[in-house]
Amino acid sequence: MDGSVIRALALSCLAVAVPFGAAAHQLVVFASVECAAVTVEAKFSNGRVTQQGDVRVLDGENNLLTTLQLGRDGTATVPLDSVDHSGGLVIEVDTGSHDNYWIVTPEDIARKCGS
Amino acid sequence: MTHVLKRVFAALAVVLSANAALAEDRPRVVAVNQALQYLAERLLDGAADVVFPVPEGVDPSFWRPSIADISMVQSADLILLNGAGFATWIDRVSLPRSRVVNTSKAIEGQFIVTQSITHSHGDGGEHSHEGVASYIWLDPTLAIAQAEAIASAITTRDLAGDGDVQARLDDLTSDMMALDATAQDALSSLQGVEMIATHPRYQYFARRYGLSVTSLEWEAGAMPTEDQRAELERLGDELNARILIWEAQPPRAAVEAANELGFQSVVFEPWAGHATHNTFFEAFSYAVSALAKAAKQASN
Repeated sequence: MDGSVIRALALSCLAVAVPFGAAAHQLVVFASVECAAVTVEAKFSNGRVTQQGDVRVLDGENNLLTTLQLGRDGTATVPLDSVDHSGGLVIEVDTGSHDNYWIVTPEDIARKCGS
Repeated sequence: MTHVLKRVFAALAVVLSANAALAEDRPRVVAVNQALQYLAERLLDGAADVVFPVPEGVDPSFWRPSIADISMVQSADLILLNGAGFATWIDRVSLPRSRVVNTSKAIEGQFIVTQSITHSHGDGGEHSHEGVASYIWLDPTLAIAQAEAIASAITTRDLAGDGDVQARLDDLTSDMMALDATAQDALSSLQGVEMIATHPRYQYFARRYGLSVTSLEWEAGAMPTEDQRAELERLGDELNARILIWEAQPPRAAVEAANELGFQSVVFEPWAGHATHNTFFEAFSYAVSALAKAAKQASN
């Protein structure tokens, strides 16, 4: 394989890669509920893990209950005994450049606690 | 006499409490846009409450629900999704899969792929119109497919009788086909006429009737800024477009400003959010007629 072929190959790879790189991506937030805690996961829609960001936990009246930091694996854990979750929770993740949310209803929590 | 009165009151109490129980027991269907609400109401004919939970003035594509809203949605007997990326909130909550119906699943092959444009307006924060166009129902033939999906979901879940739903679906289909034929006829004069829309809403409508509609990214029903007016003027000259489609009634000053630039304004409510027309058919027919009229005037 000579240099011109490699260059052509590299350029065509770049041409393919650029549209994807230029495409808008979003922050995807997901929260799974267990009886004792809510596990928050955040990643970008291109699959990249979100390594830092604020996790704000709010109640149904938009009162801030607590703020946590995302771990390097893009997750954070909200212990349910640390917040008043009786009216459900809104989990907001903010990376500075992107933000998104997940809504946890009282029914979501009750379902996981077998009540 | 006192005994008689007591019995009457007791009987009334029983009737009232039975009515209250019946009201509570009525099935509830949630729709993510007003068009789906309309289709479901036509098919159910009062057999269930059909709720469109998005407040007036809020774009249902980018609505941010409250916890109470989601509790209500989760407890519905049927949740009607539009598909095609419409209503971003559905990906931010847990929905009961067995009660969720994607009304456009059977027509995904007919989706229109769109460009990615990130912008922000209103309370919904920054967002992008990317992936596929989502106002599917503005092509009546696709709206029929969505109605068929809703009818199937209603009968599968026994929310109304099979025969009744089928008869209503037949009526609805017949109405949609008549609407489509009217539009085909009325819009034939717009072939080759360039139009500009204030927001990207009309892709399926344009494709169905062979129209050329270029979209801006303006706030629904708002007064355009000076930059936006300059953009409209530039685009109008570039395309030789003289018809401007608004998704909501704009302020009079906005219509006058567009008029000064040589545009005729046509309001076409797409029936995603709360519309001023009473029915989908009324809004659609009004827009078709107004577009045909505008084309006639533009050609004079």
